[in-house]
Amino acid sequence: MLRTADGDPRAPIKPLRRWSRFRYPNTLLSYGAVLGILAFLAYSLEFLDIDLARIVGVFPRLGDLIATRYYPPDIDYVARPDFLASVLHTLQMSLLGGFFGVLIAVPLAWFGAHNVTPSRRLAYPFGRAAIISSRAIHETIWTVLFVMVLGFGSLAGVLALTMFCVGFAGKLFADEIEAINMGPVEALRAVGAGPLQVFHYAVLPQVRVAFVGIAIYTWDVAFRAATVVGFFGGGGMGLYLKRTVQQLETNSVAAILLTIVTLVCLAELLSGWLRRLAQRMR
Amino acid sequence: MTVLARSRTDVVLDARRRRRIGRVGIYAGVAAILAWCLQSTILADTEWSRLGGGLGVLAGVQRFLWLDFSLVPHLLVPAVETFMMATLGTLLGCVLSLPVAWFGALNVTPSRFIAYPIGRFMMVVSRSVHEIIWALLFVGAVGLGALPGVLAVAMRSVGFISKITAEAIENIDPKPVEAIRAVGGNHFQVMYYGIVPQILPVILGTIIFEWDINIRRSAVMGLVGAGGLGLVFFRQMAQFNYGGVTMVILAILALIAVGEVVSHYARKAVT
Amino acid sequence: MAILEVRNLRVRYATAGPEILRGIDFSVDADDFCAVIGPSGAGKSTLIRCINRLVEPSAGEIILFGEDVRALAGRELRRLRRGIGMIFQEFNLVDRMSVMDNVLSGRLGYTGSLRGLLRLFPRADIDRALHILDRVGLSDHIEKRADELSGGQRQRVGIARALMQEPRLLLLDEPTSALDPKISRDVMGLVKGLAREYRVPALCNMHDVQLALEFCNRVIGLQDGFKKLDGPVETIRKADLDEIYAMEVL
Repeated sequence: MLRTADGDPRAPIKPLRRWSRFRYPNTLLSYGAVLGILAFLAYSLEFLDIDLARIVGVFPRLGDLIATRYYPPDIDYVARPDFLASVLHTLQMSLLGGFFGVLIAVPLAWFGAHNVTPSRRLAYPFGRAAIISSRAIHETIWTVLFVMVLGFGSLAGVLALTMFCVGFAGKLFADEIEAINMGPVEALRAVGAGPLQVFHYAVLPQVRVAFVGIAIYTWDVAFRAATVVGFFGGGGMGLYLKRTVQQLETNSVAAILLTIVTLVCLAELLSGWLRRLAQRMR
Repeated sequence: MTVLARSRTDVVLDARRRRRIGRVGIYAGVAAILAWCLQSTILADTEWSRLGGGLGVLAGVQRFLWLDFSLVPHLLVPAVETFMMATLGTLLGCVLSLPVAWFGALNVTPSRFIAYPIGRFMMVVSRSVHEIIWALLFVGAVGLGALPGVLAVAMRSVGFISKITAEAIENIDPKPVEAIRAVGGNHFQVMYYGIVPQILPVILGTIIFEWDINIRRSAVMGLVGAGGLGLVFFRQMAQFNYGGVTMVILAILALIAVGEVVSHYARKAVT
Repeated sequence: MAILEVRNLRVRYATAGPEILRGIDFSVDADDFCAVIGPSGAGKSTLIRCINRLVEPSAGEIILFGEDVRALAGRELRRLRRGIGMIFQEFNLVDRMSVMDNVLSGRLGYTGSLRGLLRLFPRADIDRALHILDRVGLSDHIEKRADELSGGQRQRVGIARALMQEPRLLLLDEPTSALDPKISRDVMGLVKGLAREYRVPALCNMHDVQLALEFCNRVIGLQDGFKKLDGPVETIRKADLDEIYAMEVL
């Protein structure tokens, strides 16, 4: 409360406490962080030898390039039967990678969930480490690794997609499991059920619907990755992309890119519809 | 047990059996589809003789374990490059997301029938086109080096950041906006005091999240010539230096770990 | 004949935290329906959970049916737990499963992993489940999902699940706190009747002292982690109850 100076109504009111917008040390740290980031960015431009003027000029240049070299897209190229077969293979690869990835991700997520893991000292670190390392390695790197060991072809591609899906779905699954109501878990432990039975009866029924949604979403993302793994030798339509890029057949590249974008959009629509269906699955 | 209870048991057992058969039917259908996929892709495609059997594969894997430590000093600069690419790319992505989010938010878009669909379409395209494809496009446009990598990362990030931003704008609470307007604030003040404080924490959190993912993406930009650790990876792969490949992967993992730590604390500071 | 003997039970949740239970001694006989009462924070829930080791004691002895409970681990601990039926305040049913499946899950301590996984319970289990569901009055609701039932009905499913275990001891953790007064009396009456019929002793954490005095034959009173009261229900005086609940601010 403000106090007046000794009863004189016209004297200025002296506040009891001082308040300032700039609080030490929080404000100093915030501004320091922002300045630090800006300085780092400026240094990066210097270090990477990037000319800001060039960035501005890129988009018109890109537009120009697309208009002259990439247009018109060579639709005949993508209508070839071998290309269409590779599109089917891409889809199949994404289904396989998605399915096996999700299958492996479920037990790993169980292990990696702090609240219901069968062993806090062994299973938990193992599950967490497996999910995190699968996630950290990019799907193209997985493809290259598998190609180096197994040679070119769909086997490497499917395995790479599987590893990617294990990481992607595993994290989402584990987060979902850690958010469950622990009541039924406690009850089933009290009944004398073993850890696997507790998982099956108390955890899975609670997360079943969410898991189906996550699985569909994972397939959607896996399909996007599948269109590209062929570029690195993993089978599917990416191979044709690599071929046309290397041979500078830009019209064919444009056609393939259009196909990819169309397919991915279709897959996204399909997965969105399926997920809404799954939501109504109670 | 009375006779009545026994026949009820049969009813229950039959119902359970029928449900089980239904479930098995679904599993069989799924297995059939997968078998078909497996057959056309892997089984038909793979030259099993070339794999050299299980032992051959194991030998191949074992070659990765001979770590090539001589590579380490050559990894530092590319690691920094990758880190910088991720940061610059994320920042550029934010800048590009602003107009896209503005177009793609129903309540602030300048035109519901033209700008809004364009905004939404750009969000979808950005998320659908794989970062490798973006990188190929930009390498074709600006040549090799770090710049196409930065641009590719930026274009890929636009989709997610603008989508979250647009959703945040669409979900703002009108009451604070109304309050600022009632107090007599002008258009800019309404935005700065009414709208921005509501959406800023979410947007900053999303940007940090996307930056974390972009480290992973920047690392592979080098596979198509865009510099950073990806380029080192590509060279080691081309030379079949298995130990070197492993070292690069370890460097990438270390970089991602650093990114996780930084992003964890940054998100706590922002929200 | 005491089937449960507890000596100097101490529980501390964190190594540097406060002691929740500070040296509790008591025993339960084979024909007891024993209430544990006391203000919130007295440690009643913790005490109940120590018996089947859902909470780990820090010190003390728990001898149940002649076995040292604290010495068991893994499969042996599960064997102990399948013989103890537990009924929870929030029912702890699996909401998306049917009433029948929830009741059958009480047999999981007796069922192998593969059978449990495929939900292949033997005919004898189905018989027993139907019989128990009759006794608790839920025969018309067998295939309904657990979350389609009312609170009282759900607790009766919990009771049925506990009885499916053919338990030698019943543990109840505030079984009626989430139910309204009339349903609470019905549930307590049902449990007491079934406990007498199947000759199972019970240890019951009660929030409502009136219900405890009405349905139980023995009362243990806790306050602040100490045992302040222990005796047949006839010997409990109002003054004793006032003393235990004196510190409780409503």
